[in-house]
Amino acid sequence: MGEPAIAFRGVTYRAQGRVLLGPLDLEVRPWETLVLLGRSGSGKTTALKLINRLLEESEGAVLVNGRPTREWDVITLRRHIGYVIQETGLFPHYSVERNVGLIPRLLGKPEPEIRERVDSMLRLVDLDPQEFRRRYPHQLSGGQRQRVGVARALAGDPEILLMDEPFGALDPLSRAEVQRQFLEVQKRVRKTTVLVTHDVGEALLLANRIALLEGGKLLGIYSLPEFLESSDKTVAAYRAAWSGNLQFPGDDCHGGIP
Amino acid sequence: MVEFLRIHRVEIATLTLEHVWLVAASMGIAVLIGVPAGILLTRKPRLREPVIGGANIIETIPSLALFGFLLPAPWLGARADRIAITALALYALLPIVRNTYVGITGVDPGVREAARGMGLTSRQMLWQVELPLSMSVILAGIRTATVLSIGIATIAAAIGAGGLGEFIFRGLAMVNDSLILAGAIPAAILALAADLGLGWLEARLRPPRT
Repeated sequence: MGEPAIAFRGVTYRAQGRVLLGPLDLEVRPWETLVLLGRSGSGKTTALKLINRLLEESEGAVLVNGRPTREWDVITLRRHIGYVIQETGLFPHYSVERNVGLIPRLLGKPEPEIRERVDSMLRLVDLDPQEFRRRYPHQLSGGQRQRVGVARALAGDPEILLMDEPFGALDPLSRAEVQRQFLEVQKRVRKTTVLVTHDVGEALLLANRIALLEGGKLLGIYSLPEFLESSDKTVAAYRAAWSGNLQFPGDDCHGGIP
Repeated sequence: MVEFLRIHRVEIATLTLEHVWLVAASMGIAVLIGVPAGILLTRKPRLREPVIGGANIIETIPSLALFGFLLPAPWLGARADRIAITALALYALLPIVRNTYVGITGVDPGVREAARGMGLTSRQMLWQVELPLSMSVILAGIRTATVLSIGIATIAAAIGAGGLGEFIFRGLAMVNDSLILAGAIPAAILALAADLGLGWLEARLRPPRT
């Protein structure tokens, strides 16, 4: 196997004297989707933000394409990495076209090329450019906004995609639809993706591997079969929580709610 | 009343124009200083207390006293309208600086984070995200400051800077209600017009909520 796309080498992140993450050693392989799974406060979002230097590690080094992020020009680094967050962070005063064309425009691409890129990105996330190009974020449903967020993150053709609970704010039906749609996108444009979630179902649906974090520490990295079969107590608890969600009233609960 | 207006119409028009000039010039200066100062405070939060505090102190100085303080100042003191414009600009600073600061820091953190994460430089962030999204709040500050200045500018007549205050002071001295109203009514109309006009602009520039 070649060089990892992203690597954490003995990374610790401290804020106000408290260790919030680490020490963390973790590698993300090229083109895989690694899900950082954990509950609130487990350090998963912190780990994600260390990759595009929205936060900077206190110790150790985060490497992108083999080079410590501290050595990158921060703007170049971030433009090299797509970023999608929960509420998408679409600019409310920009049309869909300007939102999606933001990075190509910042990169100084010519207008016809930007237009073409915007259209192809919108088609990629299954939105008709004719219909959606001129709309504003407040004229879109939650699911459509999220897809535009993904289209915007991919428009600069980054090698890496970071996603922080990207589908967390959606209702269950839209969420399932956008997740399925994202899988389609991934098949067509393969990116090294790091996705943060606390949703086991989402992790199992989207991940190639799952990195489980708890209290700022990495508990383990699992392929899907490993995750489904692991006897580790925490993994088992996640599995139980997930399968519990799938049970219907009247099913035989394992010591669940009476 | 009609007779009064007929006799004084040229003077009313002249003094109204003088009044508009005093307010417009002072607001122009206040915006040129206040908006960049507000932006600076968002970059250097340590300056926030002293700058907002200083602007607050200026606001507490009675206007007549502030005009008086500026009289002995070199260059400024040579002409009454310079003093008036300076004093009015000083009064206008607080609402403009404060609203610029509040508007920019109030930009949705999600939008800000996404912008940073995508690699916008600090300058691109300011021009493409922060200023457009805070423009309506900044304008609200300019609107408050303008309405305030139109009122305070009437006092500038006390130091001979002209404007609609001329009528009011003359009316007070002569105990003539018509003269007082000849100053007060156009000033009130100016204030209302500024309030409505800037209010309309403010509503138009308000970013849509998602």
